[in-house]
Amino acid sequence: MPIALVPLGEQLCRYLERQWQKPVQFVAIQQIPGGASRETYRVVLRVDSDERTVILRRDPKTSLIDTERAHEYRTYQAVWRAGFPVPEPLFLEEDGAWLERPFSVMAEVPGCSSRVADLAGDEHTELRAALGRQKWSLLGRLSAMDPAELGVTGFMSVPVHPALHELDYWADVIEADALHPQPVAAAAIRWLRAHLPPPSERLALVHGDYRSGNFLFAPDASIRAVLDWEMAHIGDPLEDLAWSLDPLWPWPERHLAGGLLPRHDAVAIWEAASGMKLDREVFRWWQVFASVKALAIWISSTEDFANGEAKEPILAVAGWVMTDRQNRILVDRLHPERPARYAEALL
Amino acid sequence: MIPAGGRSLADLAMKLAADIAPAAATEYAGVNAGLMAMLLLALAQEHERAAAVRMADIDAIKVLFRQAESAHPDAPGAGKRASFCEREPKSLLLSDLDRFHAEGLAALIELHAWCEGEDSALDRAIWDFLVEHTERHKFELPAL
Repeated sequence: MPIALVPLGEQLCRYLERQWQKPVQFVAIQQIPGGASRETYRVVLRVDSDERTVILRRDPKTSLIDTERAHEYRTYQAVWRAGFPVPEPLFLEEDGAWLERPFSVMAEVPGCSSRVADLAGDEHTELRAALGRQKWSLLGRLSAMDPAELGVTGFMSVPVHPALHELDYWADVIEADALHPQPVAAAAIRWLRAHLPPPSERLALVHGDYRSGNFLFAPDASIRAVLDWEMAHIGDPLEDLAWSLDPLWPWPERHLAGGLLPRHDAVAIWEAASGMKLDREVFRWWQVFASVKALAIWISSTEDFANGEAKEPILAVAGWVMTDRQNRILVDRLHPERPARYAEALL
Repeated sequence: MIPAGGRSLADLAMKLAADIAPAAATEYAGVNAGLMAMLLLALAQEHERAAAVRMADIDAIKVLFRQAESAHPDAPGAGKRASFCEREPKSLLLSDLDRFHAEGLAALIELHAWCEGEDSALDRAIWDFLVEHTERHKFELPAL
């Protein structure tokens, strides 16, 4: 256990003692890698002589994605209440006095992993397929939920034209954060503006980063929790579907969606679970948009690494390696001949 | 001075990935060591080619600008493009190459936006450039 983290764990115990009104003893703390928008720690405690593990998510000094902690926490609360698999949200603390910066606390989902890459190889083919079936079935379930019934309309805006709303937001991010001219992003944004679909017929809670790596699964391949809701918003459900199918996630394997299932199978499962039929022309727009949004995040992370305080390696990897790959995917999708060397053949 | 800097960076990357990351005391440290190894490999490739790929882009942009000048001498931004074609980077320092490269790309974005509705051959030539540009700048990285 890194000694430097012990005071953080002990201070969290003081906070939890006040919340639970009982003694909380610190046992161990470990930082969890990969949380690019929040510092994430697994903290083991002793409460009433039982060991209990919680997940602490603390605001970083700078972040890959600029998000609002209360927005993320309320989203967790809403989907938790609806019975969607997420870690149980316990506390949101916006007073930086306790742990230097605001934070939230979640219950741990024990015995699970998020590392889909560990399931590579022929011996795991069935496990991957089972995971894939649940992944897109759960996404279909989320797409079918009414945002008003979920209770998220109380703190999320309802866009009149989700596609335009999202495009404007991410185009602005690129405009604000690009450190060097981005000819591929610029061409893609022009294409998106020229081919804007009509306003969405159906609105849903969009997770915003629904991909392999953002859910926890048990050894039997059952998905126990979907994580990282910081970019959640009300929008078009096709946004999540397109994002989940972007060829960047299983790179360089582009034929298996998310490294799990053939793309057409994933779409069929989503259609069955959501009760929606994919409009392929509109979906193409969302596929190109997904790559532009991802590119915006990578460009933004480059700026953050260059000018921000947190020199997290993930920010630099996103800025260098991911930007390169996403540019190739976009050129592939929009070049008049659509060479399909990096992007999948469109549906 | 370390000779063959790119290769040395690649060797250090492999050392970090194969020996140091697996021996890290925590998962957080191990994952970050792996990410740093990936970055070092990318830097190794960039170290070798940085000047060449920027100059190749600059030369190709000038070809496109001359094509535009010949077909559409009055198109918006013509003066900027002519000025770019007449000049070279101030020096071979990467910072100077980057500055001149950025100037060319910014003018290219403007030209691309204009030609989309005006000249399909030029539009196609710019898309071909973007394919070559992204291929020149790509990183070839093994799974670490």
